[in-house]
Amino acid sequence: MSAVPADRLERNPLMTEAGYETWLRLVQHPRAPRWNYVVGDRVRAEDLPHVDALRAAVAARRPAAGAVPPPELCEWILRLRATVGSFHERVPEGFELQRDWAHVPTMSREDLVVRIDRVVPVGEDLSRLIVYDTSGTSGHALVVPHHPRDVAQAHALMEFALARHGATLRTGPDAVAAINLGAQEAHTVVFATTFAVWDQAGFAKVNLHPQEWRSLDDARGFFAELAPQLLTGDPVGFAEAAAWEIDVRPKALVSTALALSAAAAARLRGRFGCPVIDWYSTTETGPLAYSCPLAHGLHVLPPDVFVEALDADGFPAAAGERGELTVTGGRNPFVPLLRYRTGDWGRLDPSPCPCGDPAPRIVDLEGRRPVFFRDASGGVINAVDVGRVLRRFPVLQHEVVQRADGSCDVALRFLPGERAELGALDTELRGLLGPGTALTVRVDETLAERSRLGKVLAYRSELPSADDADPS
Amino acid sequence: MSSEGPVLEALTGRLAECPADFLAEPRLGGRGVVHTDAVVSDLLVDLGGAGLDRDAARPFAGEGKERRNLLRLVQVASWLLGDPWFAGARRFAVPASQWLASGLDETAGLVAADRFVTDPERREELVRACLAALGLRPEGESEAQAQDRLTALSSVERDRVVRATQAQLEHARKVREAMRRKAAEEAAAREIRE
Repeated sequence: MSAVPADRLERNPLMTEAGYETWLRLVQHPRAPRWNYVVGDRVRAEDLPHVDALRAAVAARRPAAGAVPPPELCEWILRLRATVGSFHERVPEGFELQRDWAHVPTMSREDLVVRIDRVVPVGEDLSRLIVYDTSGTSGHALVVPHHPRDVAQAHALMEFALARHGATLRTGPDAVAAINLGAQEAHTVVFATTFAVWDQAGFAKVNLHPQEWRSLDDARGFFAELAPQLLTGDPVGFAEAAAWEIDVRPKALVSTALALSAAAAARLRGRFGCPVIDWYSTTETGPLAYSCPLAHGLHVLPPDVFVEALDADGFPAAAGERGELTVTGGRNPFVPLLRYRTGDWGRLDPSPCPCGDPAPRIVDLEGRRPVFFRDASGGVINAVDVGRVLRRFPVLQHEVVQRADGSCDVALRFLPGERAELGALDTELRGLLGPGTALTVRVDETLAERSRLGKVLAYRSELPSADDADPS
Repeated sequence: MSSEGPVLEALTGRLAECPADFLAEPRLGGRGVVHTDAVVSDLLVDLGGAGLDRDAARPFAGEGKERRNLLRLVQVASWLLGDPWFAGARRFAVPASQWLASGLDETAGLVAADRFVTDPERREELVRACLAALGLRPEGESEAQAQDRLTALSSVERDRVVRATQAQLEHARKVREAMRRKAAEEAAAREIRE
């Protein structure tokens, strides 16, 4: 009989005794943060061949540039047309995908917020469905269903990106694979687990907020003793790690969620002495692109997605022009995507790259600039924390702007049929922003149209210091 | 269907020979080449009616590409109604205008316009729907025969849609319930967060 407790096996079905020892080493570490959450990878044996298959495919089948998706993706669309309402609506019987691809109507976050049942295939087994929430760049508060299998497959994509940057992970129960860094208000989840797809290697998600640790020294000691091979997180978290003088020498930093400027990447490379990989991923699409080792933009990463840059009418942007990045395909069985508009904008460059990866590149990616707000006393408020407040209400879409004078304007669209509880929302936001911040909370139905034109950023700061990714 | 119309095969044959121009891209949001409203307006004049005014033209123009298939189908149907038999009768402008404006939406949501040119069964379906909208039946058929055949052609699709709708309603309930239940539970650890 396994020495791994039943509640642990429920969360980590493939956890071995050695993996359990690793997990204990993390959660019982004397200098650990205050863990506040328990979670596992939920990966089962039947998921592993899918991870292996993607591992092989990502290296063997690099995405090709083109005006239409490859035949296998077109076949996938036609197959799903029978069970996915949103595909059926967009691709009538007899529609010629290869010929008329540019005319396929796009999907957006609104499809996922308002009509998720038209996206999840009819007949799909929902028993392993899990959900993640996000607010993203176009300002739709969103809950996205996933399957533990597609979450696990993301590891295979990361391995490829690491290899392209000359880094190889040591897996196994004696290794700590990664620590994910955040720097938020003290509400975010903090936990440790192991990953079956990395042979029981350890993982922790921590928050660099003073309330989460007994002392700064403990934080430094925790990182030094566990020696994570990867630091994952966003530029704000990395900046905080540098400010806390966290002394680790990881094999790579993987930065996601927010745009990483070249200057910030160079600073982080110097500070941590390792490659810094910009990782473009969204909750709806999963990983999409990784930064070129020679800094020529971000290469499209998965072999099973087709990325386009579209204009406001949903047609391909002219060569060299910016467009809204739009995704077809993916491997989330609950959220098949057909020309899904991400809300992020960039240019697609199909020209050969000197780094050797033939996959097209996304250049001038915009949409996820690091945003932080300040309260009346100058204290930093992470946009993530504002998003958490907004998600407690039936908000369909939002735009939060802090003006140069410090005042905040919150424009909202509510879900159809839901009551706009502006008073309660105003009270909660005032609690976060502090009593000295001028705040306006209002309904703005123009968000839908402005979003279609790529003119809505979920969070925006006009404070003079807002362009600096380092909030310190 | 009280009046006898033209020979069915003459109209299905006309559809089969629909010129590519009528399947060209409708003008939508500044793109496309065919001004569908102009095509319809010209047709109505040929049928003995008045051209479209601004309000009446609205169903045949638009912006979103969601309307593309509908407008292409309107163009194909206009080609069908351009048959000399209809123009010669000089009395179909009003029902033709009504059918084109509001009788094709559901069909356009299900089947690509091209199919009504390339697929024999779809050609017959469109011809019969057109004649029914104009109060006609194919030459040589009784009202009962014409109705039976029209029902047979469209009922398969309608049954399928009804079944799919019922399945979709049940599916929607299950998905929303699963999402609600799972939102309250822990998810799965990710190595990186988006």
